[in-house]
Amino acid sequence: MKKKNTSPLLERTKGGLTSVIAALICIVIGLIFGLVFLFILDAEHAWKEGFVPIIQAGFRNVGNETLKKVGMNWATVGQEIVEAAPLIMTGLSVAFAFKTGLFNIGAAGQYTVGAFGGLFCAIVLHLPWWACLLVATLFGALWGAIPGLFKAYLNINEVITSIMFNWIGLYAVNTLIYNRGNGVMYNLKQSQTYALKDVSPRSLIPSKLFGWDMYGTFKYGSISIAIFLAILVAVVILVILNKTTFGYELKACGHNASAAKYAGINEKRSIVLAMVIAGALAGFGAGLYYLAGGAQWDPQNSTALPSAGFDGISVALLASLNPVGCIFSGLFISHLSTGGAQMTQIYFPSEIADVVSGIIIYLCAFSSLFKGKILSLLSRPAKAKEKATEQTAKEKEGNEQ
Amino acid sequence: MTLLIKYTLIYGIVLMLVALGGCFSEHSGVINIALEGIMVVGAMAGLLVLVMLPSSIVAFWRVFLSIASAALAGLLYSALLAFASINLKADQTIGGTALNVLATAIALVLVKRYNNGLGGTQSPKLSFANGDFLFTIGPITVNVFLFIGLILLVVAAIVLYRTRFGLRLMACGEHPQAADSVGINVYKMRWAGVLISGFLGGIGGLAYIVPAAQIWNFEVGVSGMGFLALAVMIFGQWKPGRIFLAAMFFAVFKALANIYDSTFLSALNLTKEIYNMMPFLASMIILAFTSKKSRAPKAEGAPYDKGMR
Amino acid sequence: MKLADYVIEMLNITKIFPGIKANDNITLQLKKGEIHALLGENGAGKSTLMSVLFGLYQPEEGCIKKNGEVVEIRNPNDANALNIGMVHQHFKLVECFSVLDNIILGVEPNKMGFLQKADARKKVLELSERYGLKVDPDAIVEDISVGMQQRTEILKMLYRENEILIFDEPTAVLTPQEIDELMQIMKNLAAEGKSILFISHKLAEIMAVADRCTVLRKGKYIGTVNTKDTTVEELSAMMVGRQVNFKVDKKPSEPGEVVLDVQHVTVPSKIHKNNAVKDVSFQVRRGEIVCLAGIEGNGQTQFVHALTGLDNLSAGTITLCGKDITKASIRNRSKAGMSHIPEDRHKHGLVLDYSLEQNMVLQRYWEPQFQRSGFIKFDAVREYSDRLIEQYDVRSGQGSVTIARSMSGGNQQKAIVAREIDKDPELLIAVQPTRGLDVGAIEYIHQQIVAVRDAGKAVLLVSLELDEVMNLSDRILVMYEGEIVGQFDPKTVTVEELGLYMAGAKRMEV
Repeated sequence: MKKKNTSPLLERTKGGLTSVIAALICIVIGLIFGLVFLFILDAEHAWKEGFVPIIQAGFRNVGNETLKKVGMNWATVGQEIVEAAPLIMTGLSVAFAFKTGLFNIGAAGQYTVGAFGGLFCAIVLHLPWWACLLVATLFGALWGAIPGLFKAYLNINEVITSIMFNWIGLYAVNTLIYNRGNGVMYNLKQSQTYALKDVSPRSLIPSKLFGWDMYGTFKYGSISIAIFLAILVAVVILVILNKTTFGYELKACGHNASAAKYAGINEKRSIVLAMVIAGALAGFGAGLYYLAGGAQWDPQNSTALPSAGFDGISVALLASLNPVGCIFSGLFISHLSTGGAQMTQIYFPSEIADVVSGIIIYLCAFSSLFKGKILSLLSRPAKAKEKATEQTAKEKEGNEQ
Repeated sequence: MTLLIKYTLIYGIVLMLVALGGCFSEHSGVINIALEGIMVVGAMAGLLVLVMLPSSIVAFWRVFLSIASAALAGLLYSALLAFASINLKADQTIGGTALNVLATAIALVLVKRYNNGLGGTQSPKLSFANGDFLFTIGPITVNVFLFIGLILLVVAAIVLYRTRFGLRLMACGEHPQAADSVGINVYKMRWAGVLISGFLGGIGGLAYIVPAAQIWNFEVGVSGMGFLALAVMIFGQWKPGRIFLAAMFFAVFKALANIYDSTFLSALNLTKEIYNMMPFLASMIILAFTSKKSRAPKAEGAPYDKGMR
Repeated sequence: MKLADYVIEMLNITKIFPGIKANDNITLQLKKGEIHALLGENGAGKSTLMSVLFGLYQPEEGCIKKNGEVVEIRNPNDANALNIGMVHQHFKLVECFSVLDNIILGVEPNKMGFLQKADARKKVLELSERYGLKVDPDAIVEDISVGMQQRTEILKMLYRENEILIFDEPTAVLTPQEIDELMQIMKNLAAEGKSILFISHKLAEIMAVADRCTVLRKGKYIGTVNTKDTTVEELSAMMVGRQVNFKVDKKPSEPGEVVLDVQHVTVPSKIHKNNAVKDVSFQVRRGEIVCLAGIEGNGQTQFVHALTGLDNLSAGTITLCGKDITKASIRNRSKAGMSHIPEDRHKHGLVLDYSLEQNMVLQRYWEPQFQRSGFIKFDAVREYSDRLIEQYDVRSGQGSVTIARSMSGGNQQKAIVAREIDKDPELLIAVQPTRGLDVGAIEYIHQQIVAVRDAGKAVLLVSLELDEVMNLSDRILVMYEGEIVGQFDPKTVTVEELGLYMAGAKRMEV
């Protein structure tokens, strides 16, 4: 029995496959609920004006002849890509914290504060885009550090701290930007922050990558290399978690904080660092969105927390906390919300997409339930053998409990 | 000053009701982070009923029906949390978060749908008349929720400390194995705890919106009141009496945001957002100082599995 | 003998868990008014059998009879209805409730759902008077002593008018005085006509209090004897199946220079206001195994935590190889040559969701051998883990990549022992290194510990098992209520003598 009788690679693929199947089940059930909801609201239009646009989402216009003529038929796909970048990042933020055993419900606040940092550097200081992005990241990191410190040194649950600091961050950012209409970043005429392309074009994330002009392809205003930056970061996070001693320490803390302490890992430091990095990822995501010109901040109307933060939870859970998986689940959630806007709004409000996404998180909360079932289905042939080894092992132990 | 008292009472009662809800849920062993969403759903249901009732109905029934539907909607919505966390043993925090996200989305869809039916607008706002809910006592306008809240406070305290149900409920949140070993059905008690929290949360949602406004934009949900109520519950050490005091304390901050510009505070030249921020900041500071002696129910957050002993 | 002479009969009970037959055709018959002991080693199937009786598990085969009639016990409620009560090893008390509330929980006297505690209080006080069970009904459980908590549990059964009382290892957590009290209480209860099942693996207690004794071994029924007609030796042989001889072959020790020097160490308790460890001083030298013996809960755990850096001490100094490590971090203690086989392998010893190889480097992953500029050298880790698995005979389904959770307890412990010994420490701290393991694994681990000593290292062994203490150590220190109350040479001291010190009946200045 000392020889390995199963290839570790096979085991890992099986685990990955299980996660993908579980995610697909969540998505399908979520969509079915969405469809039922559509039928309840308006059965007559539910399919053609409701469900089909949600599924087609950004790709609905690709074949549109009128748009084709002006070269705009890929624009909504571009929009999906633009919106996906911040979602991937908040998803990574949540997933990274989760690996260390922390639930970062504060991604929304970190995102908000990061957005402020990035926009301030762009609109007021006119810094180049990469510097603005860096500041957005730092601001997010700072906001993430707070719950980390509370957790590590005062033993206050990070969930409650994150929630409180979400709102504190939101109100702080709004008051700083608006300042009764006198804020330096605030454009009274448009009642939102100044558009970057007008006041500081060099702060915009470029849309040209190795000579490929992404704008030329998609004809969508805020398309940029942001998506590639997000993918790059996802890969970096994957490497950190799986290949480095730092990742080893963080995961050890997440699995078993007592054992990590026993192993000489400074678990307080790990908690704070994990939250700092999670915050940085969320802040980076905000930078990717606002510095690409994806939106301008409206402090009067932004009285609710940005949804990117909470969608990050769906992204992370759907990806089974796998950083590379977050790329795909981020794209999916973006696809879904674009789809919401593609529905005929007189019949169906776009928030139906949020309903579906909410149902998906709800399902993800107990997806481990059916993950076990899938795994046992996948490994049925190998099971008999496993059972035999298990039996001998257990008999040896003969432990009552 | 009367204005300050008015708003403090409004928000204080809301925070108290919702925190009492959280208190029942957590005493049974389920962390209810979905209170925010439950409030939204309760408020949405209550308001929709209010605006849809024909004007011929007497004021009493109008008030009663809208409050009852808010409570019922909250209760039904909380069943989703109970099902996920008790029967399916899901992570309570994730499940609660999902319900928060879902609540705002559902509320927006339904409100927009309603407005759409009226005049084809896609507005997320509901306007309503709140006159039936208000009374004046001397110089102060109070609302019906003040009385409901105080009654429910007394009832909650009696139920928790003087009844068999309360004793069993708390046993399930502290030591479910012990409760099980003396024949108490832990699942049933936890369901009861969560449903009560939904009931109170639903009323709380309506109580937040109706007395203080005549139009409500559902895009903002209930702007974090549900989360604030969680802080109130912690600060109130999961005890109804203390929750009442904590709720009033937090409500003062919240009230200031509404009235600061009509008082001496306007001289300070702070923005509305800063006052809005204050209760959250205050709750963090208080938690930082009181965290060491927290008396949270011991088994909260952990799904109970009969098989694991 | 007529059937009805037995209040409870468990006939041919078989209970199977995935991969293990916990109870294999076991029969147990309890007479009215007797104290019946159920004897067996860890893992013999005692708790499983009692859980079957209490309705926590359903047996695959066999039946239960009460007063000669077959009954079905599907859950604890059924057991209660049949007047069967149980004092669990880990008390089932709600800590923030009062004693009274705990007693009435589940059978609350009430009017329309409102509690009526006055009658209940009267009944509890009567019962406590009648059976000599001193409790304060209004005290909060978390504030009272373990002994009073146990009396609360007993009152819970009496309040429900249970006739059959099960005590699951009731003495493990008690002080000697409390044990004496409990024995007296049990005799009183039996005299009043209650029938008692007493689960234990302590022979002396069984001989002292029980009328009859049923012995289990590895899930099988071995026999039932009258305690009057048997001896401790006979019971022992029935329990373990052979005359066990845990004698470890070892040369006399040759203590060298001092490795560990502990001076005046005091550790505050987390539960009460007193200190858990009071002014403890001793030394451990190269080439000797020093054993810290004592009954559970006398400050050993807290002392080890302070020694290894898991917790802070409030006074005193710790010196390792001449270096003051009193305030050193856990990592630095490890670097200074300290190895620690922790008491709780699941809480501290392993990251159960990590693979075996990841656990094998838990203390060393940061060494240059296993990482280059922050990146783990997976090949080196695998190679190292494979070597340890081979060398220490750690068995697992898939070798290095096995998830630790899926391994058996014995092999988990072997992996920890391998990891800690292979670090080549100056000082090995082994806390209950063989708890819950089978004989083969115990012998193996004992040999390894002796080998460490023979390699000229210092070993501090903390153990609750007297056999282990007597056979393995070169010097014994007895800890009682946080203090060292005696120092002995295992070759000259008797177990009885040690027991007196462990129970606090005797002490010497050390």
